[in-house]
Amino acid sequence: MRKPKFKLPMISRTLAVLAGLVAFIAIGFLSYDVARKIRLLGSASSDNVQWSLTQTEVEFLALQNQIEADPVDLGQLRERFDIFYSRIGMVNRAAVFAELRANEISSAHLDAIAAFLDETVALIDADDAVLLAGLPTLAERSEQLRPIVRAMSLSGLRLFAETADEQRQAVARTLTELAVALAALIGALALAIVYLYRLNIRIFNRELENNQTATRMRTVMGTSLDGVIISDGEGRILEFSPAAEAIFGHKTADVLGLEVGEVIVPDHMRAAHDTGMERMRKGGERHVVGKGRVRLDAKRANGEVFPVELALQSATTDQGQIFIAFLRDISHRVAAEAELVAARDKALASEKMKTDFLATMSHEIRTPLNGLLGNMSLLRDTPLNNLQDRYVGYMESSGRLLMSHISDVLDITRYDAGKLSTMTAPMNISALLQDIIDNQSSTASRNETRLEWGWDGPALHWINSDYDRLQHVMMNLIGNAVKFTKRGKVSVVLRKMTQDDNDQLHIEIADTGPGISEDLATRIFDDFVTGNTAYDREVGGTGLGLSIAKRFVTALGGQIGVNSVEGKGSTFWVQLPVTPALAPNGAEQPAEIQAPTRPLNVLLVEDNEINRIVAREMLEAEGHSVTLAHDGREGVELSKTKKFDLIFMDISMPVMDGRVATREIRKGHGASAHAPIVALTANAMASEQEDFKSDGMNGILTKPLSRTALRHTLSIHQPQSYAGNASLVSHEHSAETRDALGEEAFAKLRARFMREVEDLVAWLQSDETQDYLEIAARAHKVAGSAAVFGAVQLREALKLIEQAAKAGDNATIERVVFGLNGVWRDTKIALVE
Amino acid sequence: MLAQIVKTTFGLVAVIGIAAAASAQDIALPQGAVVLTVTGEIDVANADGTLIFDRETLAALGTEEFETTTIWTEGLHRFEGVSLKTLTDLIGAQEGTLLATAINDYTVEIPVSDAVADGPIIAFKMDGETMSVRDKGPLWVVYPYDMSADYRSEVIYSRSIWQLDRIEVVK
Repeated sequence: MRKPKFKLPMISRTLAVLAGLVAFIAIGFLSYDVARKIRLLGSASSDNVQWSLTQTEVEFLALQNQIEADPVDLGQLRERFDIFYSRIGMVNRAAVFAELRANEISSAHLDAIAAFLDETVALIDADDAVLLAGLPTLAERSEQLRPIVRAMSLSGLRLFAETADEQRQAVARTLTELAVALAALIGALALAIVYLYRLNIRIFNRELENNQTATRMRTVMGTSLDGVIISDGEGRILEFSPAAEAIFGHKTADVLGLEVGEVIVPDHMRAAHDTGMERMRKGGERHVVGKGRVRLDAKRANGEVFPVELALQSATTDQGQIFIAFLRDISHRVAAEAELVAARDKALASEKMKTDFLATMSHEIRTPLNGLLGNMSLLRDTPLNNLQDRYVGYMESSGRLLMSHISDVLDITRYDAGKLSTMTAPMNISALLQDIIDNQSSTASRNETRLEWGWDGPALHWINSDYDRLQHVMMNLIGNAVKFTKRGKVSVVLRKMTQDDNDQLHIEIADTGPGISEDLATRIFDDFVTGNTAYDREVGGTGLGLSIAKRFVTALGGQIGVNSVEGKGSTFWVQLPVTPALAPNGAEQPAEIQAPTRPLNVLLVEDNEINRIVAREMLEAEGHSVTLAHDGREGVELSKTKKFDLIFMDISMPVMDGRVATREIRKGHGASAHAPIVALTANAMASEQEDFKSDGMNGILTKPLSRTALRHTLSIHQPQSYAGNASLVSHEHSAETRDALGEEAFAKLRARFMREVEDLVAWLQSDETQDYLEIAARAHKVAGSAAVFGAVQLREALKLIEQAAKAGDNATIERVVFGLNGVWRDTKIALVE
Repeated sequence: MLAQIVKTTFGLVAVIGIAAAASAQDIALPQGAVVLTVTGEIDVANADGTLIFDRETLAALGTEEFETTTIWTEGLHRFEGVSLKTLTDLIGAQEGTLLATAINDYTVEIPVSDAVADGPIIAFKMDGETMSVRDKGPLWVVYPYDMSADYRSEVIYSRSIWQLDRIEVVK
């Protein structure tokens, strides 16, 4: 654990030391100064100057007394003179009288006195007779000097009094200064004390905080459910938390100081651990430290190896680097995870098995059922009596019901497996509803029920939606309404709505039937829900119809619901997000099915014998000739030699399946390489349909075959008129152009035209996303050029493409584009001839 | 201040002469003019209970000399004379006071405790010259002022009596 470093106290300590030093120096200076001043006061350089001066006068008076004494004692006189002389000499020389001598007046007095002494000294030193004779003069002179001596003594006194005064003041000043300095010093010391006191409090608080933090850390470590292990830089264990004891089964006392690798690292990881420690010690890269949670294996005291989650971090402390590891025993979690994964895998596997089983079963049921239905269809074409005809009708309707149940189950299976996809294309919702209403009208009239539909508000005929799914839903809802309503009314109302800037199509199917109980209404869209058993018997149903409808509507991004009053009727509604689609030109009404104008030469590739027979019978009944192939390989071989108008191709076949066979046919250059190929399949999903097209197929026909669907397919895929007798190139027209342009220019133009066509053909056959408008525009342009060169068939084909593109008729476009290659190849040859 | 210390340190001259061990009998009566008369509580006397000296007999007690400045003179001077301690030892004065009186009857009290080795002397020569009365002579009690700050006080200055001619020893 990193020990907090206190920089503040260090600075404070430095400051305190500095302050102390400053105070010490200040005290030193002041002490020295005071000592000096005291010494100066003590070593008085002055003697008792006042007394000395006064003594001058006294000694002068003593001399004068001796001069005027009667009788005069010459010895005494001489001595008194010497004493006075000595005194004046001292005053003239002593340092303490320097001030006095500097004073002008005193100096003059001293000079006068000195002059007197100089004059007198000769007389005093002369013999007694001379001295006696000079006494009167001496007395007179001394009398004159007397006031001068007094004046000097007085002036000196005044001078020294002033000096003494100044000295006292100087002392007072010094003392004041000292007092001020002391006060400042004490103040500074007081401040320092306050500062130190506060510093002390701060340090104390920090200490307290540190202790609290340490206690908290210890508590955290002790309470942590994760084991905490702290080691030094060499990997020796410093701390081993109670949780770590519980996890590893070691006692803290036993492991302290041991190498952490020996204690908790499993044997098979020791080498890697030691290498890692060594690398870190050398300051190398760290693989685990500071990398967040890492999952590793660890070893318990009993040698058991178990998974742990480890978070390792390092820190630098006063004792050097340490490592802190948080370890969590995740063996339970890992076990639980493994169990969960196993359970999930098992569930997924069984789910897949169920789906596969359902898909396989329904496929296997459908194949023989197709055979039954096809044969019944053929049976109807044979002479039957009335009773037989009725029985065949019952069998047929039972068979179709069974087929629809199987389809329902298959749809649900697909939806639940997430494989249900939708194909959005422009479609006419009005036409769809009209078809269904027409289809249901006979049932309705049997039930004496009025059936009607219409738009509420402006109509929106063309929308982008999935025709098949929508048809299924509407068929189910309207069919139910018609089924359950006796002597009543079923009305279908469509309404275009706008919700959140999106167009919505709202469809209501209202009936005056028995209605649905509230309880049932909440469950009506669930799987396998049916009304009461009496009705079940009457109308039949798996109870899957509405649940499938709901799945389809949901897949289309819409909603479905019901409002019902028991005994009054029900109103089912569907709301779908839709985008309006462009109405294709001239396609307002579904095109009439045009039966092929001539018998077609058809190749039927189908492995199932019954299906093969049914399809052949149906085709032959329409007047077409049929060639049979039993598998893909056989179909491919046949297509090479014989030119067929149309090929029906089953998808799943032995030897070679339909998709591979289609690709083979398209790849080769056989006689039927460009013939339209239609897939025969029982279960074609949207994604599969795309795959079929990319394989080269032109359409899909769903099994079981119905006459109507078969006729529709034949009408779409019959060879168009252009493929008939129309000549490839009108040489007459071409010659005109050549004459008008001249040979050279014609050749140039023709080359350009040929390039144009080839570009267009390549573009149309490419995988590029193309929109109808562009297809129409480009086809139109090249068709114009084709007219110039008299390429009649090519022009016809391009015009057909243009028309289909404008109508949004994708099937026609694909079919014609498909045939375009052959047409162009032939046209090209004809053009250069 | 510093200069004074330097002067004291370098200027102080050690005792030159070693005082001869004198006894009462050795103090001869002065032949010349009496310069100092010692009276009072004295162990030794040579004339009617008093001890009298002329220059020669005083110098015979043994002399010391040192250099010092004084507040009464200019510059550094060399003083030579008899140590006060030699005198108090001679007269057996261990304690008490010396009442020193000058020719002009000025009297000061010098405690016997002042008489220490390397202490004050009764000087009779300044710069090798005998001092006359006109120049603080013939005897002058001089302390080694430069040697110690203790000797530069007003009390010591007042005890530095010049024109000394008698001492009375009182207990």
